[in-house]
Amino acid sequence: MRRSLLITLIIVVLAGALWAAEGQRKHPVYVGAKVCATCHQGKDMGHQFSRWLASKHATAYAVLAKPESKKIAELSGIPQEPQESPMCLGCHATGAHAEAWEKDQTFFTEDGVQCEKCHGPGSEYTDAAIMMDRQAAMKAGLIMPTIPDCMGCHQVKGSHVAVHKLPKLDMKKALKDIAHPTPGDFKYGPMSQLPDVTGLKKGRGKYIGVLICAACHKGPMMGYQFSKWRMSAHARAYAVLATPEAYAIAKKQGLKGDPQTNIACLKCHTTAYHQLTEGVIEFFSLYEGVGCEACHGAGSHYYPEAVMRDRPAARAAGLREINRETCLRCHENPHDKPFDFDEAVKKIAHPTRAPAVSQAPRYKTPLNMALSPDGKELYVTCEASHTVIVVNVQRRQKVAEISVGHHPTDVTFSPDGARAYVSNRLDDTVSVIDVLSRNVIATLAVGDEPHGLLTDSSGKHLYVLNTSADSISVIDTTTLKKLKRLSASRSPWSLSRSPDGSAIYVTNNLSRFVKFRTPSVSEVTVIDTSQAVVKDRIVVPAANLMQGIAWHPSGNFALITLNRTKNLVPMTRLLQGWTITNGLGIVWRAPPWGEPKDGRVDQVLLDEPGMCFPDPTDVAITPDGRLALVTSSGSNRIAVVDVTKLISMLEAASTYEREHVFGNHLGKPTEFVIDHIRTGDSPRGVLIAPDGKTAFTANALDDSLTVIDINSFCAVGRIDLGGPKVITKVRYGERLFHSANITFNRQFSCHSCHPDGHVDGLTYDIEPDGIGVCPVDNRTLRGILDTAPFKWEGTNPSLQRQCGPRLAVFFTRIQPFTPEELSALDNYICTIPRPSNRYRPLGAELTDAQRRGKKMFERTMTNDGRIIPKGNRCATCHLPPLYTDRRRHNIGTKLWLDHESDFDTPHLNNIYDSAPYLHNGIAETLEEIWTRYNPDDEHGVTNDMTKDQLNDLIEYIKTL
Amino acid sequence: MKYLIIAVKILMVCSLLVARRSALGSRATSHGPREKLPYVYTEWKHFTVNTGLPNDHVFAIKADGPKVWVGTENGLACIDKRTGKIKSWKEKDGLPWRVVSALDVNPKTGELWVGLFGGGLARFSGGRFDHWHQLNSGLVNDVVYGVAIENDNVWAATTAGASRYNTVTGEWTIYTEKNSPMEEIWNYGVSYDAGKVYLGIWGSGVLEFDVATETWKDYLDPDGEMEIDLYRDDGIVHVISTGTSYIDGILWVSTYFGMNRYDGRHWRGFYEHETGLPSDFGNAVKGRSANEAWFATDKGLGVLADFPSDTWVTYTMDPNTHRGKAVVSQNQKVLEAIDMPKSIPHNYALWVEIDGNDVWVGTSKGVGWGIGPGYYKGLKDRAVYKAKIVKIKAEN
Repeated sequence: MRRSLLITLIIVVLAGALWAAEGQRKHPVYVGAKVCATCHQGKDMGHQFSRWLASKHATAYAVLAKPESKKIAELSGIPQEPQESPMCLGCHATGAHAEAWEKDQTFFTEDGVQCEKCHGPGSEYTDAAIMMDRQAAMKAGLIMPTIPDCMGCHQVKGSHVAVHKLPKLDMKKALKDIAHPTPGDFKYGPMSQLPDVTGLKKGRGKYIGVLICAACHKGPMMGYQFSKWRMSAHARAYAVLATPEAYAIAKKQGLKGDPQTNIACLKCHTTAYHQLTEGVIEFFSLYEGVGCEACHGAGSHYYPEAVMRDRPAARAAGLREINRETCLRCHENPHDKPFDFDEAVKKIAHPTRAPAVSQAPRYKTPLNMALSPDGKELYVTCEASHTVIVVNVQRRQKVAEISVGHHPTDVTFSPDGARAYVSNRLDDTVSVIDVLSRNVIATLAVGDEPHGLLTDSSGKHLYVLNTSADSISVIDTTTLKKLKRLSASRSPWSLSRSPDGSAIYVTNNLSRFVKFRTPSVSEVTVIDTSQAVVKDRIVVPAANLMQGIAWHPSGNFALITLNRTKNLVPMTRLLQGWTITNGLGIVWRAPPWGEPKDGRVDQVLLDEPGMCFPDPTDVAITPDGRLALVTSSGSNRIAVVDVTKLISMLEAASTYEREHVFGNHLGKPTEFVIDHIRTGDSPRGVLIAPDGKTAFTANALDDSLTVIDINSFCAVGRIDLGGPKVITKVRYGERLFHSANITFNRQFSCHSCHPDGHVDGLTYDIEPDGIGVCPVDNRTLRGILDTAPFKWEGTNPSLQRQCGPRLAVFFTRIQPFTPEELSALDNYICTIPRPSNRYRPLGAELTDAQRRGKKMFERTMTNDGRIIPKGNRCATCHLPPLYTDRRRHNIGTKLWLDHESDFDTPHLNNIYDSAPYLHNGIAETLEEIWTRYNPDDEHGVTNDMTKDQLNDLIEYIKTL
Repeated sequence: MKYLIIAVKILMVCSLLVARRSALGSRATSHGPREKLPYVYTEWKHFTVNTGLPNDHVFAIKADGPKVWVGTENGLACIDKRTGKIKSWKEKDGLPWRVVSALDVNPKTGELWVGLFGGGLARFSGGRFDHWHQLNSGLVNDVVYGVAIENDNVWAATTAGASRYNTVTGEWTIYTEKNSPMEEIWNYGVSYDAGKVYLGIWGSGVLEFDVATETWKDYLDPDGEMEIDLYRDDGIVHVISTGTSYIDGILWVSTYFGMNRYDGRHWRGFYEHETGLPSDFGNAVKGRSANEAWFATDKGLGVLADFPSDTWVTYTMDPNTHRGKAVVSQNQKVLEAIDMPKSIPHNYALWVEIDGNDVWVGTSKGVGWGIGPGYYKGLKDRAVYKAKIVKIKAEN
């Protein structure tokens, strides 16, 4: 009894101690390399710090200022400055994904890839007492990295290879290059014999250090001055004193000991010893080598911006002009090396204005149009130039170009014609243009990726379709304030107002979520404009990619463009018109309004045997209701539909034919498609003038409008929107991506399954290995360049492989792209931009929930204190900045339909906008990945998480 | 004797006719003495499975213009007030779960939010049900007792805490004992008005969430968990709270051991033995104003018709005759008693909904619709019907 009591007591005490220890554990923060240097510097520590300082890791941030880095960013679809992009900084800096509070005052991002990038944030293990005990240090957060950890950044990246043409990194050699072993007889502690740097020269100011100068002198607006210095030999001047060569020179000059402690060496190899001053400020570091102030003088008196902007004042405060003498003080034949001043100055030149970097031609890429109510002007949204081009209808000429937000997509006029509203898809905004002055008078924040937009007939409410948020913003046009958000279906795309103005019909590009391995079910969302609410949701079975919509003037029906994708059977089956048939939907509005009969939808094809109509994108109906024009962006044509014939055909048919035959009948289109008209490249929007005589198409990929005479069904003119005439490789690739010429019967293009480079939300059965075998979720192409290998099974090592032979064998079924075409296509795919993350704007702090979620993402222990094996932690396979280790893993998601159990690790950037999830798209939401499909903790240890912890984890994942 | 009974019956019928006319406020005649009296609902319609409800066990009602949504034990129904027609949805019609325990309508979008007892949360919009539950979303638990719309957020009171879903950002926030003063996590009800969310919690009283500051305030029974109130009006009467309703700056609370009114400074408790409450066992409450509240109890409907004068109207149904009764009392004195052909459909009342001048009552035997075209607030000088008041009170 007494013994058991004692045991119980011991357990209680131990548990208490453990609990207390747990309670005391602090969140580690980054301290910066210079803090590490306090111990890891000097001969007794093998000059570890100096070895780093002289390495490429130390200039990793600075190199992002190079033109090559900009090119890589452009190639990768990264719209920001590389030095501001979390993606670039993820590998070129330390703690890029940490919040401000997770970085100590001693930490500077500009120091590049520092000790803590590999060894983990150091605040809790930097104490010498802890560092002496490896176990304790590791418990406090010290990481001893392995090669796979390095591979997170050092795997081959297509974008970098394309620019640098460098071979694959030789990891063995690289590790040798950065080796920084601790000597067997190491001695921790501050260096001894470090001389006093304070020379006490009154009136000369104090040294402040380069990082204070860098606060202003960095970035493109200042010619990347700091980065230029950081990449120069001046920045390594202190570090080189640790090299054997430096020791040899010192010996030759009769100097004893460590050159880094010898004032004779430090005089020219550091700033502080260069000229004696009043001293240094707290954050000044000797390790910066020859910094700005070595030449320009101690900066404490002149560094304030107000002084620096006044050159005489700056001079008076100690800013020195540079001349030959300045350099010769140290460079006059040092160590028997000749010095060419003119060449040297060129080498370190750092003008405020960087030389202009040649930019790729800026195309226009017109997408959609709106005609002013007076019929005189056509407004055209131009995605690539971020402008709206104004065309004089009578003169058929471009007369103005108005800068709006990024990726303007659709445009509409207020009924009085005084304003035009433009959706900016990349910015999540709407630009309000004052038509008279052609100025943007307001920019409204709306939901994710606004696409179509339209007012009600009074102009009181503006409806904006938030394509990536599955919602519709309703804006009061008087106050320009958001009134509410209505729920759409998935990816609302375009909208059209009924002739009586009582309803607005909205097409949704993606199917609703359906049960695993069942056909698509799409929706036309019906808005009651009198109350600005969703009144009805019309179901369109077996259809997806519903995009264009136009009301018939009778008000009896609307026409919509649609695809009928047979994603449940292998793509080799030609049944019912093959994989992606293209057609029209007739959405009936049977009187009386509101009765259950509303919303019958007929579907007919626009494909004909041997001649498909790929990517029907937009539709317009003549004012007399006789004809409809439909654009095919994949075949550069317009189909002329005789609406009267179409309706007669439907009315003469049986219900069975309408419901089960016409939707797959390739023979029917000849009964109502009376002509095809050629347009420019990739026609998107189509618009018919109120007189019913003229139509216009916006040809996205040749920066023009085609003018069509409706009576003769002929293209009678081309309006040049003024884009560059040269066709770059990327533009060529973009055309190939949007063209169906590469597929059997020209049925679909890359854009058909990846609309605008994103997803169609479907799970495909691709290979001819049996119906339903190995279904795979379609993945986004946004930002995929450096995420090789491709394909869920990870068997395609490059985009060239993915888009070349594989595409021909399983998708397009005709001759593959030529090598030139393939190269251009891959170039384009890589540049498809990834929108900024909506859940964490650049530089924003994490919310409380996101912060807690980050802790879960990075956790190493379960809630009950069990260590999570490294391979089962989120951050092991999903490591920043791409959040993929680019390897295959078995996470327990193999189904009876799958051949493989190991699947490629997807990247997590903007993961919130590409549902469904997992290799087979079986998880509709991020939650389901863990609540339903991770029963055995194979996809990370998550089953011990409480519901709120899982919620937090998901909130964090959405920020990546 | 036989003639006496006939005479009494004739007298009663006549009296009822007079009472009916006098009780309807504006329609009241000058028969009998006049007094300041509250409005009494004497015209009732019932909806049950016989008239089209999917189930008689009614847990929630929400009026939205001409539509009245009804949540039952086996389906969702919508009563068209104009036609009296009922449309219903069961699981086969797309309703994600059979038991509908809570309802609220987003006034901006018109979307109906549906709490499902064991099935999570659903949104019904344009004929489409969207479904959120423990497995596909951040909802804390699938047993949902209450739903309330607060700006762009939807609150769900569940058996394992409260969830707040931001319909714009998609973020789910869970409130439990970890991040709020929720001693117990069994949330029975939730309501929202004027920047305040109130949770009625089984065993944790009432929690107030200030939307602007995102801070919590708890209201617990100062007497602890005792089922009697040691010091009256010192706080909430009991921590087993079932419903809350906040209107005109007044919080109304129902508990299993009495009801409450709180004006931000003073609490006031209401009990069966000293008011017109038919029972202390409160299932739900709905405030109509600072001075009027409707309490659904296990023995009928208690209406505090005029708080300043402590005037109550008690609606019950005679289980034998199925006739209805309304008793007006003030400071424990019965002023008026009205016998009606119909009142509430059953005395086990689970929900009350105020709909303009009308009221809707959910019971374990269907829905009662109290039609009140002449409804007036507070008290009004009108004729009194004096029946066998004492006897009626005794029967109650």
